[in-house]
Amino acid sequence: MIQRPSAHLYVLLLLTALLVGLQSRPAQADTGCTAAPTPGLNTVYSKSWGIDHRNTRYQPRSTLTAKTAPQLQLKWVYGLAESTPRSYPLITEDTIFVGDGGRGVVALERETGCERWVYEHVGPISSALLHGSIGTREIIIFNDRLQGVFAIDAKNGEFIWHAAVDDEPVPWYSGTPLVTATTVFAPVASLEVVLATNPLYGCCTTSGGMAAFDIATGKKRWYVPTIDAPAQKTHTHWLFVQNYGPSGAPVWGAPSYDETEDRLYFGTGQNYTHPATDTSDAIFALEGSTGNKLWVEQFTTQDVYTAACNIEALNHPNCDTPTGPDVDFGAPTILAHTRGGLQLLIAGQKSAEAHAIDPASGKRIWSTRVGRGGIIGGVHWGLAVNEAENLVFVPISDKEVVGFPAPGTPTPGMYALDLDTGARRWHYSRESRCEREECVFGLSAAPLATNDIVISGSMDGYLEILTADRGKKLWSFDAWRDFDAVNGVPTAGGSFDAHGPMVADDLVVVSAGYGYVGQQRGGNALLVFQVQ
Amino acid sequence: MNTLLPSSVEPRPLTLAGRGRRLLATLIDMLLVPLLTIVLIMITDVLEDAEDYQDFMWTLWVLLLAILSYLLLNGYTLWRHGQTLGKRLFGIAIYSAAQPAERLSAASLWKLVCIRALFFPLLFLLPLAVVLSPIALIPLVDQLCIFANNRRCLHDYASGTVVVRLPV
Repeated sequence: MIQRPSAHLYVLLLLTALLVGLQSRPAQADTGCTAAPTPGLNTVYSKSWGIDHRNTRYQPRSTLTAKTAPQLQLKWVYGLAESTPRSYPLITEDTIFVGDGGRGVVALERETGCERWVYEHVGPISSALLHGSIGTREIIIFNDRLQGVFAIDAKNGEFIWHAAVDDEPVPWYSGTPLVTATTVFAPVASLEVVLATNPLYGCCTTSGGMAAFDIATGKKRWYVPTIDAPAQKTHTHWLFVQNYGPSGAPVWGAPSYDETEDRLYFGTGQNYTHPATDTSDAIFALEGSTGNKLWVEQFTTQDVYTAACNIEALNHPNCDTPTGPDVDFGAPTILAHTRGGLQLLIAGQKSAEAHAIDPASGKRIWSTRVGRGGIIGGVHWGLAVNEAENLVFVPISDKEVVGFPAPGTPTPGMYALDLDTGARRWHYSRESRCEREECVFGLSAAPLATNDIVISGSMDGYLEILTADRGKKLWSFDAWRDFDAVNGVPTAGGSFDAHGPMVADDLVVVSAGYGYVGQQRGGNALLVFQVQ
Repeated sequence: MNTLLPSSVEPRPLTLAGRGRRLLATLIDMLLVPLLTIVLIMITDVLEDAEDYQDFMWTLWVLLLAILSYLLLNGYTLWRHGQTLGKRLFGIAIYSAAQPAERLSAASLWKLVCIRALFFPLLFLLPLAVVLSPIALIPLVDQLCIFANNRRCLHDYASGTVVVRLPV
């Protein structure tokens, strides 16, 4: 007879089940690490992604200085349930709230890292966690990259509302919202930039935009697309698929907000298809209460790109020609005051340029290019300013991406520019640690400034502190290693990217690990340092 | 040669299909089914518009079209001969392993479609083995079983089948 199923079949089935089980996320071990469930909310260390509504990325509530920074030591590590954390923590006097794409929002005791509460959420949490209030109820706002904006109770993690735009079919909520007393402003990008990699997809019809939601209810107040004209049929490509344009001009970064003038500022990305518009790679100024456009200033014209352009071999039909350099304004704009009292809108572009703009008119005051640029920057996630030093800190990634090379020599590192003139004051050059393996070593994450220092994390896993006035390295920490986490989860560090470090008093809080873009190392470590 | 039938049994001994033929037949199937699926996707436009991606219905559509492609390509030959197109090209067929060797017969269609065919899409997870994803080990284990003496993969055990070389 032919052999019948035997014991070894059942062994194989068991093995298969085991392997499937391996796919699931690591369980939270019972480590005996417990904390009182209710967080303190008397002192909140950030009002927005950029610390304040102006997005300065300057933390005034900090005792960390050039003198104390060298005494920073690892205090505790929390193991996240995802390898590419994209959330920026919210810190209060006794709690660190963190978004964990594999679990939800977690409130951790600041002193120990033990969990106070967990708001279970399925979906990629992609933004900074923001503090707001509905009457006397204190809330936390965050983005799920695909589902939209969520509000939960800061005291206990209870769900309050969920909001999404219905104006676009495939919105992508990558940028952190900005929360005021009455309104949540939410940047909107579009999933079409990656849907275009499917050659059977009829690229592209959607626009980026900015939405305003009522903070009490999540009800939409207004939505302003970055492209007013509806997309029209343009041509049919060789797979008999209809293409459309114009499209794109997504909003990737958090807006900055001038409360006195009720003005909202943000940058846009490139167009996805031709015809290109005059609103891509541009800076917008809107009236916050109505969404009325005040001015739009474009910095790069005819920039048309989708992720299909990285697939060279196929002569991809969803990569329109002429193809642009893909030099979005991914980094949030900053409203900065010069030492002379002048107000400037600072914007960093993936072209490796920093621009200073008159916030009243949109007129360009200066532009300075400090790197080669490319589709992952140039300037990628953000800038920071130190108004006392009259400096803007410009981190440069200059990473080359497969299938879309950028011309010129990469010069990754940190650049300090004079706020008044854009002149280079100093440059901190990063060197590769990767002799045997291919890796990238530039600065993609947003930096943070405080007192007389600036803190940045590199794509090759170093957290570094530089002096603000000269760019001298004071301290660094190598995160490419395993850690013992307080929650017992197997934990490894990796690349620093995305939102970068946060500071509160003498603490530095940062997530290490980012495997989203090639050549970078994923990781799941939330690191908390303290001056000893 | 792995002979299923004793030499005394008449009329024709069936032999187990060679591993090379099975591999080539599978590769042909892995090429044809996605190709027809793509054609069906193009005809039905289920992935063409942004609105198609507003929920996850598009994944269901692609799945349905892939199943339809599999059945369009292989349904008739599986029913009549216990063969996919790839297996037909290489002269091998799926037989029921439930009977004594001398009375081997074509496997029943419902087992071929409802059990055996479920393993087919898992083959497309194999490239994930490059990045050491554990999920890729499921089709890997399935396929590696062919190196046992009876050359039966996990999907053969699950559906009670054996793949044989047809007499020329």
